[in-house]
Amino acid sequence: MSSQGKSGKTGLIFFPAFDWAISPTHPEREERLLYTRDQIFEEGLMDLPQIEEYKPRLAGEKDVARAHFCVPDVGSQVTEAHLIAAGSTLTLADALEKGEIRNGFALVRPPGHHSMRVVHGNRGFCNINNMAILVEYLRTKYGHKRIAVIDTDVHHGDGTQDIFWHDPDVLCLSFHQDGHTLYPGSGFVNEMGGPQALARTLNVPLPPGTTDEGIHYVLDNLILPILKEFKPDLILNSAGQDNHYTDPLANMRFSANGYARLNEKLAPDLCVLEGGYAVETALPYVNTGIIQAMAGLDYSHVKEPDYVPGRFVQTPGMARDIEHTVAQVQNIWEQRDELTKDALERLGDFYRRKRRVFYDTDMINENQEEVVRLCPDCAGYMTINTSAQRGYGILNSAFCVSIPRKACSSCRDDAREEYAEHVDDKRVGYVLMQDKDKDKFKFYNNMTRTERGY
Amino acid sequence: MLIGIDVGGTTTDAVVVDGNKVVKTAYVPTDHDNLLKCLLLALDELVQGIDTGKIERVVLSTTLITNMIAEGKTDPVALVLIPGPGTNPKDYALGESIILDGAIDFRGKEIDRLKESQIKEAAAQIRGQGLSRVAVVGKFCQRNHAHELKVGEILAFALPGSKIELGHKVSGQLNFPRRAATTMLTAATIDSYERFAKDVARALKERKISAPVYILKADGGTLPLDKSVQMPVETIFSGPAASIMGVLALTKPGESCVVVDIGGTTTDLALILSGKPLLSAKGARVGSLLTQVRAFAVKSVAIGGDSAVAVSSQGCDPSTKSCCGSLAVGPHRDGAPLCMGGYGPTPTDALRVLGLTQIGDAAKAEKAMQIVAQGLGCTAMQAAQTVIDAVVDKIVFEINEMFREWEQEPAYRIWEIMKKETLSARSVVGVGGGAPPLVPLVAARLGAAAIVPEYAPVANAIGAAVARPTLTLNLHIDTEKGEFSVAEDGLMGRVTDQKMTPEDAERLARRLLAERAALLGIGEYASEAEVTYSEVFNMIRGWSTVGKLMDVRMEIPAGLLPSWGRC
Repeated sequence: MSSQGKSGKTGLIFFPAFDWAISPTHPEREERLLYTRDQIFEEGLMDLPQIEEYKPRLAGEKDVARAHFCVPDVGSQVTEAHLIAAGSTLTLADALEKGEIRNGFALVRPPGHHSMRVVHGNRGFCNINNMAILVEYLRTKYGHKRIAVIDTDVHHGDGTQDIFWHDPDVLCLSFHQDGHTLYPGSGFVNEMGGPQALARTLNVPLPPGTTDEGIHYVLDNLILPILKEFKPDLILNSAGQDNHYTDPLANMRFSANGYARLNEKLAPDLCVLEGGYAVETALPYVNTGIIQAMAGLDYSHVKEPDYVPGRFVQTPGMARDIEHTVAQVQNIWEQRDELTKDALERLGDFYRRKRRVFYDTDMINENQEEVVRLCPDCAGYMTINTSAQRGYGILNSAFCVSIPRKACSSCRDDAREEYAEHVDDKRVGYVLMQDKDKDKFKFYNNMTRTERGY
Repeated sequence: MLIGIDVGGTTTDAVVVDGNKVVKTAYVPTDHDNLLKCLLLALDELVQGIDTGKIERVVLSTTLITNMIAEGKTDPVALVLIPGPGTNPKDYALGESIILDGAIDFRGKEIDRLKESQIKEAAAQIRGQGLSRVAVVGKFCQRNHAHELKVGEILAFALPGSKIELGHKVSGQLNFPRRAATTMLTAATIDSYERFAKDVARALKERKISAPVYILKADGGTLPLDKSVQMPVETIFSGPAASIMGVLALTKPGESCVVVDIGGTTTDLALILSGKPLLSAKGARVGSLLTQVRAFAVKSVAIGGDSAVAVSSQGCDPSTKSCCGSLAVGPHRDGAPLCMGGYGPTPTDALRVLGLTQIGDAAKAEKAMQIVAQGLGCTAMQAAQTVIDAVVDKIVFEINEMFREWEQEPAYRIWEIMKKETLSARSVVGVGGGAPPLVPLVAARLGAAAIVPEYAPVANAIGAAVARPTLTLNLHIDTEKGEFSVAEDGLMGRVTDQKMTPEDAERLARRLLAERAALLGIGEYASEAEVTYSEVFNMIRGWSTVGKLMDVRMEIPAGLLPSWGRC
């Protein structure tokens, strides 16, 4: 159920990580939320009766392991800042489930939506995926089944897409600036999920220069109708703020008012901040607007200093372009059942994909082979054989096994066997096991022959 | 010799302190209609037989402003806001206000101009309402005073004889609605407070007391009376501040403890952590208004010795001999305890029955507990125990809540989150009339030591007598703009060194604090100031550093005069 119509406060965690940066001049630096702090503190938003401020907590390593295969282990891929950012989302999830709040916004950094299932390092400013960690937590701890993640960042939410690629119960819908023109270069309409979950991943690439009008067209004509049909237990917003017309890393023309209105209409249960790097000209206003919209406050007084209504006009060509994309995605969504049926008929017992993943921040190249059993009795166990290189040397390699929730006994047995077979196999450095059904996680080091578990 | 007088809710307490000894105490009942009179009555009683020439300092803590606000006796004020973009001002519970165009941003840049004609219209509107006190507050005005100054100037010209308070002179901390409320309260109380200060000065002169007179602020610091007229709201809640300073004076330095002040109808709770009283994070709540007044975090719980005890016997099984009805203690007071001539049962009656206090009439207390016992279906003794358990439960619950709230206070840096420890009370210090019998019970439940100091009933007056001045200075530096500003008084100036280091910023803060201390007549304490917060942000535009934003907070924290060398 979405938050619309519920009463109660809006929970807010503000964790600007004022003592953490990727590097001193990197966009993901200490200063990023400084002016946002000034604005929301000066507005006195935390004092309003509609808003309740929470203190962040650290996510546990187990919370991370539920969403990721961190190689060689969780501790070597995260800093305290990452655990606090991820933990903030969990604190709000608890508050939401306890009924203390009706919705919540984790205004935190570092961001996460480019982090994929396997983590060898930082890509797209992200180490671990706060949103995916939140989703897995909501499902494990509170038993939610269907969750919708709407990624409103200007960049394709490729990490979140990867983590839920095979999961028919998590709808991942991302709209973003066209991958031909922006990092990470993916998120095209034809990326629509694994064979068992086709059309549960949906991508809406938009032309550079898309305005409020264009994004609201997508929202009104595509996202909201799909949500109505999908009927998720919870709607989550990966709330990047870099569609803004002043963002230095992207080329869209979305306004603070447009963002506020989007959150009002979408009515997400929880919002998690992703990117957004116009630290002075956008973030203070966009964040104020989102908080107000979530809290049911009047956001019509939020306005960037240089914004005048009607400043950006959508050209007819752009409108046609967006309408065409929306129609394509609608079509995919409507055919979701046939698409899945056809795919499963064509494939045998296993689905395989090989791919390369580039970690731009850490300059790592990863090769992966992912295999999922197309099991008639459960979601099927998965294995990933991964090897990462930096420069000319092998960085790390691992064999990862994942047992899904409600796994059948045959998948469970086969997955265990796969794990056992790779233990002490010198061709891979580490063997990882993710048992989502039992909420147990193992890391085996083939060099030291030691096992750790969470 | 030092004199401390606390004009409290029920009594006015006064002490004379010489070195580390309490020489004399005096009490008179507080007369809310004439605070000055009871203050002077207490003073006269106190100085009888004392050489007034030997008095070095007089410190007052008074409920004057607290009462004025609580009773709605403040002067009417026109509130003029320059909110700029952001929250709709109607979403703030500030009452009626006049909204002006114009805006300043977080860096102090003008992003929207004032409209002079609009300001003149505002002046006409204020004149039409017959108001002569105006509070002018702009969002981010602390980063650039131009708009507030201009509006103030036009209003002063258009409204001769009116008093205009500007937001940036009242507080420069981030929080526009709190600043607006604080400025409004300043304008609403400044005249009455000034009259009071003058009367006090005159009365002391008549009594040939020439020692400097100070007022106690909500943060436990003293300020010369003549300087305090600029900031009347700072004197709010000086009563609880006096009690907490008293506990600081009467316990070992550096202790962590809970201060429990049990009165007739309310119990005030406060925390002292490693010898430092905990301040409320963003400022005091005054009635329905949230302000930026620096104040100790005091939690008022509606329970005390005179709280009314009510029983309902619903669901009670008469066959069992134990207490089984439901009991409510407080939150209201019906009158004095039955054992002291009142009409209904109270916790004081219960204490009397249990032999934990000797005040009041034993037979009447027994009668009070009989009433409770009937409702509960048990003996009077059991009833008394149940009542006291309920009182202790409530106080213990609220103490634990206070610790929890302190632990849950938001933090914005990794180190703040990583270092925050879980604290619990080592000792419970009781002050106030109801403290001696109840504090040991509260402490036992918390597994802490109970301390009821020797001078507990006049701890407040002692606190006032031996408190030292406090002062806070928040310095904000923007090296790209070449500017600094001081939050507390709106002082602005230039910085020329683009490569300023945090050490340079701290040096500047120390110099500015010394100047401000001298201006406020507490210059000799400037050397006590410590840096309590410091942050530096590099401003990166493109991929290069264009400047630094630095913030330094320096304070003379609440503390005791060195002459008070107790413990």
